[in-house]
Amino acid sequence: MKIKKEELIERLRELSRSGYNYLVKITAVDYIDHLEVIYFIRNMQNKKEENVRLDLKNGESLPTVIEIYKSADYYERELSEMFGIAIEGRDVKRLLIEKWDGLEAPLRKNFQWGSEYKSG
Amino acid sequence: MLTRINVGPIHPSTHGVLRLVVTLDGDTIVDVEPHIGFLHRGVEKLAENRMYMQSESYMEKIDYVAPMAYSDLYVAAVEEAMGIHPKERAKYVRLILLEFQRIASHLLWLGAFCNDLGQIFTMFMWTMKDRDLILNLLQDVTGSRMFYVNMRLGGVSIDLPPNFEEHANKLLDYLEKRFKDYETFLEKNPVFIERTKDVGILKREDAIALGVTGPVLRASGVNFDVRRDYAYYVYEKLHFIPQVQTKGDSFARYKVRMREMKESIKLIRDALKLMPEGDALGMPIKLISPPVKESEVIVRRELPRGEGMIFMVTDKQRPYRLAIRAPSFINLSALRYIAKGARYADLFSILGSLDLVMADVDR
Repeated sequence: MKIKKEELIERLRELSRSGYNYLVKITAVDYIDHLEVIYFIRNMQNKKEENVRLDLKNGESLPTVIEIYKSADYYERELSEMFGIAIEGRDVKRLLIEKWDGLEAPLRKNFQWGSEYKSG
Repeated sequence: MLTRINVGPIHPSTHGVLRLVVTLDGDTIVDVEPHIGFLHRGVEKLAENRMYMQSESYMEKIDYVAPMAYSDLYVAAVEEAMGIHPKERAKYVRLILLEFQRIASHLLWLGAFCNDLGQIFTMFMWTMKDRDLILNLLQDVTGSRMFYVNMRLGGVSIDLPPNFEEHANKLLDYLEKRFKDYETFLEKNPVFIERTKDVGILKREDAIALGVTGPVLRASGVNFDVRRDYAYYVYEKLHFIPQVQTKGDSFARYKVRMREMKESIKLIRDALKLMPEGDALGMPIKLISPPVKESEVIVRRELPRGEGMIFMVTDKQRPYRLAIRAPSFINLSALRYIAKGARYADLFSILGSLDLVMADVDR
């Protein structure tokens, strides 16, 4: 389901109350003019899955969902360093590339890498 | 007074390069902060810049203990994107090889885990020897001992050799006997019991909230197995029971994996009996891939370490975005909650029982 950023916390809280208690993954896709963030959540009782999607403008921040899903911790840290999405409401430390001070986030499409690595 | 201790990044019990900063109050763990990323290679980014089937061999390097499981996960995602269905015999061949891979992976884990607990090398030698026999068998099939790269679109690169069934059955009989020995050796061993029972308890609710997966989740009493709940290949035709324990301690996690190996033996035997004759070969790797039909795919597989998922947004020649859910990554994130309040000496019993592969954590 596609939702607005403002509804995120409310919708996820509703879903987690109705049994969608397992967060499978949070990830993002860079569509250059905007980012799409996707929350994969699962109902552990009946094994149903729901994708909660929202669009973010470049440079927009995302509220943390760690209050609802504890397992969001690492995924949010990954999002913030790989896509440069600021997370509101918590202190997000770097996770995978701790000491790296590159300017662009590596999984954004504008990330430049040496031409020698390009194949195909 | 609180003490901070640094563990790793190079440490025999971290199984790779993992650095832990442990805060202690006397002997009790107050906090554990994992520092990861030493093996980060940017697999997801690399895959975006390669043709679909060029990435297959690279996917195997994500988890070097169970490489075939990952190449299967990736190839299944590509197959789904292109609307290709694997051939009937290929499904069985893949299932058999993947279950052998699961046993091999669990055996390596068991040996290394016992090393962590102070059962220095007895168990490790045994399990490595038995794992080697499985690797020999896989070598007979694929020609390689470590990185197999034998999954192809719609099938496998090479069919099973003519005497495979005989060899496999012999090996399974042998392994079954060995697993009994292992169980007797470990479960009557006061050191093993002392160091695993009631250590690192993860309750059911916490396990779900922390998002842990695979044997760790099942050891906490959650009956979830991708092979049954999102059945793929021919798992729904074969009889197997996902192994669940309720205690959630290190011993339960050992027990789940031990029993899972036995279930794998059953699965392989059944699959060998039911396997149809025919063609199992997939398409050869070509630079021009078949046309892509789906714009987005989600594929799940039960890897030896837990649930692996690939979310792929497709483009014409290469993935536009490839997101991998690595089971070790999320299991590691639970470490700090499980270890809180435990004794420092138990930290490695807990860490070991999570079965982490650092390359899988860092991707």
